[in-house]
Amino acid sequence: MIMSEKCKQHVDSCRFCWMCHHICPIGNATGQERNTARARALGISLVNREAMGLEEIMDNIYECCTCGACVHDCTTGWNPVMFTKETRLQAALDGKTPDYIAALVSNCLETGNAYGKTEICSDLAAAVKAHSAKKDTLLLLGVDAKYMVCEQALKAIKVLEKAGVDFTVLDSEPASGAQLDFLIGAANETKEQMVACAKALGEYKTVVVYDPDDAKAIKQTYKEYGIDVAADVVTYTSFVAGLVKDGKLAAKNSGKAVVFQDPYQLARDLEETEEAREVVKAYANLSEMLLNRGETVWAGNILMAQYMPKVINKVAERRIFNATSIGANAIVTVSVAEYASLKAVAKDVEILSLEDLILGE
Amino acid sequence: MQIQMNEFLFSMILTELEDAVGVENCSTRQIDKVTHSVDYYWLSRMWADRGCHMPEADIVVCPEDATQVSKVLKIANYYKLPVTTWGAGGGTQGGAIPVCGGIILDTKRMNKIYEVNTDAMYIECGTGAIYKHIEWAANEVGKATMHYPSSLCCSTVGGFLAHRGIGVVSTKYGKIDDMVLQMEVVLPNGDIINTCSAPKHAAGPDLNQIFIGSEGTLGIITKAQIRIFDQPEDRRFRGFLFQDMSGAFKAARELLQKFKPSVMRLYDEAETASLIKKIVGVERKGAFMNVAYEGVKEMVDVEEKILLETFAKYGAEDLGSEYGEKWWKEKLTFFYPGHMMDIPQCFGTMDTIAPYGKIEEIYWAMKEAIETNFPQAKFIAHFSHWYEWGAMVYDRFIVDGKDVPQDPVEALRLHQAIWTCGVRAALAHGGVVNDHHGVGIKLGRLMKEQYGPAMQVFENLKKTLDPNGIMNPFKLGL
Repeated sequence: MIMSEKCKQHVDSCRFCWMCHHICPIGNATGQERNTARARALGISLVNREAMGLEEIMDNIYECCTCGACVHDCTTGWNPVMFTKETRLQAALDGKTPDYIAALVSNCLETGNAYGKTEICSDLAAAVKAHSAKKDTLLLLGVDAKYMVCEQALKAIKVLEKAGVDFTVLDSEPASGAQLDFLIGAANETKEQMVACAKALGEYKTVVVYDPDDAKAIKQTYKEYGIDVAADVVTYTSFVAGLVKDGKLAAKNSGKAVVFQDPYQLARDLEETEEAREVVKAYANLSEMLLNRGETVWAGNILMAQYMPKVINKVAERRIFNATSIGANAIVTVSVAEYASLKAVAKDVEILSLEDLILGE
Repeated sequence: MQIQMNEFLFSMILTELEDAVGVENCSTRQIDKVTHSVDYYWLSRMWADRGCHMPEADIVVCPEDATQVSKVLKIANYYKLPVTTWGAGGGTQGGAIPVCGGIILDTKRMNKIYEVNTDAMYIECGTGAIYKHIEWAANEVGKATMHYPSSLCCSTVGGFLAHRGIGVVSTKYGKIDDMVLQMEVVLPNGDIINTCSAPKHAAGPDLNQIFIGSEGTLGIITKAQIRIFDQPEDRRFRGFLFQDMSGAFKAARELLQKFKPSVMRLYDEAETASLIKKIVGVERKGAFMNVAYEGVKEMVDVEEKILLETFAKYGAEDLGSEYGEKWWKEKLTFFYPGHMMDIPQCFGTMDTIAPYGKIEEIYWAMKEAIETNFPQAKFIAHFSHWYEWGAMVYDRFIVDGKDVPQDPVEALRLHQAIWTCGVRAALAHGGVVNDHHGVGIKLGRLMKEQYGPAMQVFENLKKTLDPNGIMNPFKLGL
């Protein structure tokens, strides 16, 4: 397998290192030894030494959620996410992507989303139409909210309406490239999608990005790939925090006791942890659960649930356990993907979005 | 009867195991077999580094509780299939390597925390729980496990029990075998048993201690009650520099008659000049010693006074608290790639333990044996677990990559020879074959040299409990 020297160095450092064994959300949920950074590194190193075939490790390579908990935990800065993504890219170039992943990639290329969806729910369609006029500010909903959890997309729009923000929502939103980046890494197709998105966003003065996964891609990955965005890009969370701070959203604390689930994209990649907390504290009583802020534990997503739904359910259940073990009965999340994952398995705990808190729903 | 395996019979056995633990928890995938064939044992790492395959299991099973473990062991016994228990693979002795193939039984799905009991001060958990996770559970109620080995984050409760592990605050709080109240164990025939409800009793020999350290050869520990402690009000550190190790030994021995510090780590001159210089920043000739003492503040004040007075008597230079605090903060950093020894070096830790009067002699004997017979090897050591009666030496050999044969069999020969030489030197001077990493496949051959006729006690236990010899064959010398 062709692999950069930098990645090989990281692979050979991680293959015999167990130090992040405890932190992987997938490994902790499945209890499977292969779901560890060192197991993935070992597999890749054996492929590099021609002792295994690339196709024998690819399922395992796609069991990684790339949340970066292992990267964050590593004292010496080794980066399992980097070599995992490079292996995905190499498999794609070699035509060794597993079929179930190749289908998702095809969907991304054909429809802009991995789910292959082209229609949105009628209520959302109406709301989008109401904001079709060109304004300075664009609200980028993202594919998860738009196609998979449209009620959250609607709420995101309602919150901005409530604050009196003048904004545009695009009927044909450009794909951010985040899903392709997850599936096949820095392939040309990924970069082309990102360049197209950057160009579309550049038509606006400010872009408010609702999905943390898109925010990470646009604010961080684009830079890594040398793609510039002319607009001022802000996360939905920080934008809303500003609205609360400026009094444009009248906050009233309901007294509800909640914990906050930090999405790793905001907490680790963009180092944004306090903005959401400011909003939550304005509307509810916030406690902290185990492993918060930069040490957050990923709680699942919709994309991986397409090919490993049982595991994603287990991941979400474990995160709910972290909340309930300190007596919490409500979790607030700002990631639509984590919202959907937690909601799918929540029994005795309430799953709320930031918009739910603000809108009092 | 040795069964003749064929595709049909293998498929039949596989379906039985799938029925026992669930299809998704039973794997013959190559990635699972490879992953479970390389643990932290240097030989398995070297073997993989050379692009070779270590012995692999035929089937990997992940049961969720004792009932499923019982079913697996009954199936394995019926077909006489080897069963090797795997925790998280953080062992250094090859104890989890499935050298005879068969079944790998991975315990990590047995990770449930059943109870956090702050009256009797224990956590009851499945033995597949990563120790750090039960530390988190203890911390959530303001307590701590006080078991902090370098492998805290990458070893299971069962792994520590199976190999009689130890943590850095052992001098005050004890070894893993001191930290268990009750255990649930599945015997090789599939029977599920519980040890006594209290660890101190006069109801015959201690069942806990028969299974702790048995490395999966006598049964599988599936649940344990692990002690927790109050967080100390105060934890203080003090670094000292001794001119030589003899003075340090005398000082430490005297101190331990007065009180028990939590941490005591004495580094020989070679390790002071290498690892300690690199990580902690002490750039001085001599033997560095780091001491921590903790508990109720008033008692810590008194302990500090005693410590300073005692060590001053033996000419120790007081380096203050900075180095100790830095060491505490960086105590796991030593073990990350880039800091720790790694391939292509050849290395090993031959930890041994002995009473005062022997331990220093053992250190010098091992150093001489290694450096004389293997001039390409560097020998460094520290003493990090102390008792009123003796101490442990954590001595390591390191051979630079350029001096390690590329041929895997030749590299294996070199590794084995150094180990045999070092451990025999320890045994000859009254040491024990190992202190806290266990025996595994690495040291099994030396167990008979350690125990002599006493080995028959283990052998007969093994024959009685595991007549088919399916449980982790060739480990512990059994």
